[in-house]
Parts: sequence; structure tokens; C-alpha cells
Amino acid sequence: MPRLPTLDLLQGTLDLLVLKTLSWGPAHGYSVARWIQQLTDDVLRVGEGSLYPALHRLEERGWVESDWRRSENNRRAKFYRLTPAGRAQFRTESQVWSRFSTAIAKVLEAGEQPV
Amino acid sequence: MKRDPFRPSPRAEVDDEIRFHLEMRVRELIQQGYSPEDARAMAEERFGPVRPIQATLLDSTRRRRHREHRVEVFRQLAQDAGYALRAFRKNPGFAVAAIATLALGVGAALAVFTVVNGVLVRPLPYREPARLGMIWITSTNPDGTTSDLPLTSGFYSDIARESKQFERMAAFRSWPYSMAAPGSTEQEQVAGARVTPGLFEVLGVRPMLGTVFRSEDAVPGGPRVAVVSHDLWRRRFGADRAIIGRQVILGGESFTVVGVMPPGFAFPRGAELPAAFQFALRTDVWTPLAFDSTELRDYGLMNLSAVGKLPPRVTRLSAESELNTLMHNFLAANAPQVKLGYHVVSLVDQAGRPVKRGLLILLGAVFCLLLIASANVASLLVARVTNRQRELAVRAALGAGRRRIAGQLITENLVLAAAGTAGGVLISLWATRVMIALVPGSMPRADDIGLDWRVILVAALVALVGGVVFGLAASLSMSWKRLAGTLHAGDTRSTGPTSHRYGRRALVAVEVALSLILLIGAALLTRTFVALHQVETGFDATGVLTAGVGLPVPGRFNPAADGPEWSRKLNEIAARLNASPGIIAAGAVSSLPLSGAMEGGGLQIVGEALPPPGQGLQAQYNVVVGDYFAAAGIRVLAGRSFDGRDDEPGRRSIIINRELAVRHFQSPANAVGREVRSTFDFTRGLAPRVIVGVVDDVKQIALDEAPVIQVYVPESQLTYPGLAFLIRTRGDPLGALPAVRQAATAVDPLATINEVRTMEDVVSQSLARQRFSMTLIGIFAGLALVLAIVGLYGVLSLLVGQRRREIGVRLALGARPGDVTRLVLGEGVRVLAMGVFLGVGGAFVLTRVLRALLYGISTTDAVTYVGAALIVSIVALMATWVPARRAARVDPRTVLIAD
Repeated sequence: MPRLPTLDLLQGTLDLLVLKTLSWGPAHGYSVARWIQQLTDDVLRVGEGSLYPALHRLEERGWVESDWRRSENNRRAKFYRLTPAGRAQFRTESQVWSRFSTAIAKVLEAGEQPV
Repeated sequence: MKRDPFRPSPRAEVDDEIRFHLEMRVRELIQQGYSPEDARAMAEERFGPVRPIQATLLDSTRRRRHREHRVEVFRQLAQDAGYALRAFRKNPGFAVAAIATLALGVGAALAVFTVVNGVLVRPLPYREPARLGMIWITSTNPDGTTSDLPLTSGFYSDIARESKQFERMAAFRSWPYSMAAPGSTEQEQVAGARVTPGLFEVLGVRPMLGTVFRSEDAVPGGPRVAVVSHDLWRRRFGADRAIIGRQVILGGESFTVVGVMPPGFAFPRGAELPAAFQFALRTDVWTPLAFDSTELRDYGLMNLSAVGKLPPRVTRLSAESELNTLMHNFLAANAPQVKLGYHVVSLVDQAGRPVKRGLLILLGAVFCLLLIASANVASLLVARVTNRQRELAVRAALGAGRRRIAGQLITENLVLAAAGTAGGVLISLWATRVMIALVPGSMPRADDIGLDWRVILVAALVALVGGVVFGLAASLSMSWKRLAGTLHAGDTRSTGPTSHRYGRRALVAVEVALSLILLIGAALLTRTFVALHQVETGFDATGVLTAGVGLPVPGRFNPAADGPEWSRKLNEIAARLNASPGIIAAGAVSSLPLSGAMEGGGLQIVGEALPPPGQGLQAQYNVVVGDYFAAAGIRVLAGRSFDGRDDEPGRRSIIINRELAVRHFQSPANAVGREVRSTFDFTRGLAPRVIVGVVDDVKQIALDEAPVIQVYVPESQLTYPGLAFLIRTRGDPLGALPAVRQAATAVDPLATINEVRTMEDVVSQSLARQRFSMTLIGIFAGLALVLAIVGLYGVLSLLVGQRRREIGVRLALGARPGDVTRLVLGEGVRVLAMGVFLGVGGAFVLTRVLRALLYGISTTDAVTYVGAALIVSIVALMATWVPARRAARVDPRTVLIAD
């Protein structure tokens, strides 16, 4: 298991992943963490706690809102869901991210030095 | 705002969120087969460091809570405001009455405050105005009072050189110039001032174009340079930026324009300095003031005003004591018998001094009006709450808490107060202009009056305080306990708890009292005004035109050399006018009666023992030309008026007034032929003058002045370059103006005509400040009376409305309509009596502040008090009569069946 790089580097990425998971519907922090772990093959295993500051940050920006509800096992849990602004933000950010990663991939796969 | 009592604290919420996460993870790990202990440890390891995360979450949770709270407050406020607007729309009569009443009160108050702010509070438009002070010489009068006198060139040069306390000092004096418009020969008089070069630095004002004077400009025979005002530059030079370096003809001499001052700069402004110094309303052109070797040692001719700038932390008093030491040393060495001192007055005080008392009284009066208006609105509101008891009960039943309802009432009233204040600001913008127009040219700092942040702040405060006080009054007058009962009882019979009825009556009694105080004040001022109009002025203003005629004074003021020329020309103008058809008599005088201008000098009677130093006779002296006494309508009581004999070379004659004749020669007839010496004979020494005639006393400064000693000498014996002509005509006095122009330009093409007025206007303008106070306090008193009567009427109408049932029962039980009328009338009379009692008592105490403004009447004049009380009572009784009659007409059947 490779250790994760510093949180700073991941912050924007983490936000994007959270927005993505919430785009499927309201969820509490634990299920957001589990989904991300499953989808990233457990890359986010260490430091799950850092997910919560991200959720609060998104909430302060108005992209996510929260309320307390009963969870699937009948325990009070804080559920987060995307706001319309959050949904728009997610679309923009995911486009930027794909362009960025395509560009990086292109560079890394380049066989020859450009002239 | 209501808090959810079940809502967990931010800390509990954060802990709960983290705990939930850990529990879920532990449960999953146990399902995967780990032991509970291992699962716990693994879950915590995977979560990472709890504490810093906890802290971050706590911060963000608190921030969110805060924001939510704010949003909620605003939401409620918006809801309440919307509710208030709907309520006002449903009952527009109430809203309009309340807002209009408030707007009236606030408008009047803000208008007066705007003027007070501009004249007394706002810093003067110079740099660091608090450090500027005017410097005067003071002399102690025989009666112990002191008067501020201008400096002489000698005194000024000494203190300018020797004072260490002042950072800088400058002297200036009025110097009217005639100026020809470019491309025209017609002369216009422009308000000029000769100033020492430091003046602009003392005031901290830089020119907008060009430069101001350098010190080498102010030496005898220095270059003829001039600085012009922004206003003159635009008016006369078409705002041409190429004006610098151009020549302009002032008083027949060519001056180079070196600078244009920025807009608004017009120092010295006449209304801010004593009228006797004859500065124009705004100064338009400045030329350098230089002293030659004679003037540097002149300690006799007081003709300079001086302004100085103090360094920070040097007080006016320490500067004054330094100057007094200089004066003391000078007098000890040169004139030990003379007693003089210096007086330093801050520039702001100097400017506001003549009107300060009047303005503060006005502020007090308008505050009374504002109180009355507010009391009326409060009374309306209380009445409205009583009628809305049911509606509020519904809201309470639907779950609105006491705080929520009170909050809503306050919001409602804030909306009301804000609307009233907004209306008031609009009214005040208009009223301020009207107020200034009432005193044309005599309100100091009129240019500084205007809306600024202080006025806005006061308006906002009034709105805020008004809204909160009204809201509290409304919610206090509600009976919260009975709110629940109101609903199911369907109670419309309530007259409110007795305490509230008393409260409202007390409010109206205070209104009546305040309006009575204002009415008494207004009546005292009006009677003063009437008394002043009946004062003997000593001259006859009807049918008389006055116009100042100025001859050019090239170079320095030198009566010895140029005097005969001035005298010849002015006599020639008078002769031409006297020969014109339609003119009964024409003459001229150096200081126009009742204009406030005057010149003073010492007098000594030949044959009387020399008085002790400093106690000699002081006289107002005037130089006259032509048939002045006939033109002004001043009666000659003995001897003769001046004629051709007095123009013969070597003649020394004088005409004195009744006051001097009676005081020192027993009678006018006795005085003729006696001799006096005068110290104002600066060109001819102290040889005695023969009294050739005695004339009536003339009011020179103001109508309420006591008689003073006045003397007159002919222009041919004491020369002056400019005099005010008086022309007595058969028809419209203004019809004589062309003749004056013609005569003046025929004699000297450079002569200027200025200050053309009828003498009746001069008299009327001398009363401008009295008229100002009288008119405004009169208007305030009238408004106050109307508002108080409306308040009284409102309270009684409400009372009759609420007691309809009781009245119906009484009538059914055999009371006659007359009894019912008496019942309501009695109520009104009790309130009125209370108000009149309070008002007379209040006026007795408060009108003392008016004493200095009154003339010929005492502050406790019985007739005024009784008259004002009668007026208030009669009007109030009329207002009481209508609801009383309505009560008598109540039909017992309708009332009782309706129940």
C-alpha cells in the first residue's frame, strides 16, 4: 500500500471526489468515505478523518448542505447532499480535471522529445 | 428570535459526527471477523489524528451556526417589514397621519439642525481651522464692558515680529475696487481685501491656478499684483485658464493677475466679522498689503483685522497672555496712561458669535415641536394597538411568542419612523433654503450650511430612537395577560386599563404645555419686533434711495494729497443730484444709518476740565456732503445744517446730536457756537471745531441701541473717497437710480455705484435677525398648536368611541344629552387645565433664555401669558366640543342592541 502524499496536494482532488459521490444522492460521511475507498481501491484508507473538514468546507462554500437524520441502522447521523450550486461546481471541476489529466497523460506517454 | 431548545451544542454535534463514523467502521470490522478491541484500534488508526480534525470541525460548525442566526434575523425582519407595509396599506389613514406628523416634526428639526451645524459646528473651510484665531485690541469702556477693536499697522507689525507663540500671522483690511469688465468701460465694484502675503498660508489654502503673493510683493512700491476668486474668474473672465499674467484694471490702476483661488474661498466673508469693518459678503480680489516706515509706527489708526495660526498644543489663552505682555511693555514705555490689551478669539466662535444664542433658542423650540409631533404619533400608535388587540391575539394564539410580537411592533414602528424621517429630510432640504433666504446676507457662514454626515447621522438617530420608543410604547400599552382572553371573549368593550388612559391624557397635557410655551415665546418676540418698529430712528426712510458711490484711490490711501479732489468730486455729484428734477434733496454720509457701519473717535469739549485718561468722550463720527440732513429727514434742532460757508478754506465746523447737546450743554440751543476738539481729525490736528448746529439722535447700529454721542463734519474738512448717497424723491425712490449713475460718471468715469437699496430696505434688513427668530418660532408655535389640538381631539374622540356603551347605558338610565356632553367636556377641560398650568410654569422658567433677544417687554409679561393661554384654551375647547357633541348624540338603542 503506497502512502498517500500530503493532504495539501490532495485537497482539490478530495473535494472533487466528495462532490462526485454526493452526486448520487444524500449520504453521511461514513458512506462517502466507504464509496471513495471502494472506487479508489482503498487509496484513501489512511486519514479518513480528513474527509470531514472537506465536507464542512464544501458546506461553507454553499456547495453542500446537511441535516441530521436516522441512518440505515436507526442511529442519528449527519447527512450531506449537493446543492444546485454544488452540482454546477461538480460539473465544471470534473471537466477541468479530465482536461488536466488527459494533458498530463499525454505528456507522460510521449515517446519523443518535442522539437 | 427563538432558539431550538433541543438543538445540540456545536461541540456535541461534532463529537456525534465523529463517533458515528468510528462506530460504523468498528461494526464493519467486527463483521469482517476482528475482535472488538482490534476493530476499535484499527478504526481509530484509519481515521487519523482526532483532535486537530475535531478543532477544525468545531470552528466551521460555529461559523455556520452564526450565519444561520443572521439569516434568520434578517428573514424575520423582512417578514415583519412586509407585514408592517401590509398593515399600513390596510389602514392608510393612520399611516399617512403618523408619517406626515413625523415628517413635519423631523423636517423642522433637521432644518434648524442643518443651519446650526453649518454655522456653529462644522469646521471652517480652511486647514486646521481649530488652530486659527482672530486677534483684536481690547479697550475697557467706562462702564466696565470691553470692546474688540481693529489693530493699527504699528501694533500689528510689532506683534507679527515679536510674538513667539503664533506659528504665523496675517493682517487684512477691506478695500473695495472698481473694475471695468473686459472690453467695457462700465465700472463694477468688486469686493477686495488688501492682505499681508502670509494670509493664504495661515489659512492653509493654495491657489487653483498660478501663485499667491510672495513676501517681496508686500513692500512699499512693490509690484501691483492681484489674486482673484474662483467666482470672479468665472463670472468676469469666462473661466479662462490663460488669465495668469494678464493685466486687470482695479481702481484705475493696472494689476497683474498672479493667481486664482479654489472654488468656495472668499475669506474674509463679511457676515463672519463685525459689520463695522465693512467687509463684503464674499471677497473677490486680493492685493498685497504693505506698510511704509510711517505706517510701521502708526498706533492711532485702527483699520486692520488680524488672524493668526497657533502651533498644536498652544492654547488661545497662552497666546493672548504673550500678546498682552508685549502690549504692556509697549504702553509702559510709550503711553503709560493708556489701557489696552489683546483678545484672541477662535475663528469659529468669531463667525458664529452674533447668531449663536438665537440659533440655540431656535434649536430648543424646534425640539419642543419634535416632541409634540412624536407624542402625537405615540398617542396614535397606542390607540391603534388597542384596536388591534384582537389581531395580535390571533397571532399569539398561532404561536407567536411575546418577544416575537414585541419585535414585530418595533419593526413596524421602525418602518414608520424611517418613512417619517425620509419625508423629514426632504422637507428640511427645502426649509433650510427658506431659512437662509429669510436673512439675506446676514447669516454667517451661509455658504457652509448644507447636508453633511452629521445631519444624516442625526436623522438616522431620530428614526432609530423614534422607532424603538414608539414600538416600546405600543408593546407596553398592550395588556399581554389579557391577550389570550381577548380572543374568546370577543371583547370589544374594552376601554383599556385606566392607567393607559391616564398615560395618553398626560401625553396630551404635555403637548398643550409645550405648544403654549412656544406660543408665549413667539408672542414675546413678535411684541419685541413691533416695539422695535415703533422706535424713533431719527430719520425718515420713506421715499429715500441710497447708493454707495466710490471714487478710485490710486496708490496708497493719502487723504492729505488726494482729499481736496475727492471732496470736490463728491460735492459736485451732490450738487448735480440736487439740481435734478424729481429729487427733493440729496446728500451723502460716510456710514449709512442702521447699516451697522460706524466710525468712532474721541471728543473733548473746549472749556471743560480734561477727563482722566481712558474716560474721555467717545463719539460716532460721520462725514457728510450736500444736503444730507434734509435728504435723510434728520431734524435740525438748533443752529443750521452745513452749507457753502463750511467749505471755505480754514473753516472748522461740526454738527452734534441731541445726546451730546443735552448731556454737556443743557440744551441744543445752548450748544450752538461752543467748541469741541476731535481726535479723528487725522489730517488737521487738534484745533477746535465750532458747533454750527444740533440734529436729532440717529440709530446707527441697531434699533434697540441707547442714544450715543454722534457728530458730523463736512467732507470738505475731513476728506473721504467713498460715501453713501441718500436721495429723497417725490415718487418711487428706485426711479432716481439713473440720475445717480449719470451724475457719478459725469464727474468721474471710474466712480463705482454699489449697494443700491431703498432706506426702507435698510431699516428692514437691520431687523433681519429679529424677523428670523420671530418668524421661525412663530411658525413652530403655530404647528405645535395645531398638532397639540389634533392630539387632544384624537384622544377625546377615541374616548367617546370606546365609552359608547357606557354612554348608551347612562342615556338609557335617564341621563340627559347635556350630562353626557358635560362628561366629555369635563374630560377635555381637565387635560387642558393641566396643560395650561404646566405651560405657563414652563414658559416662566424657559423664556428667560430669550431675555437678550427682547426689547421693550419683560420675559414675564402678564398680557402675553394670559393672551397665549386664552388662545390655546379657546382652540382646545373647540376641539373638545366636537367629540362631546358626538357623545350626546349616541343612540342608546343601537349601542345596547349591537351588544
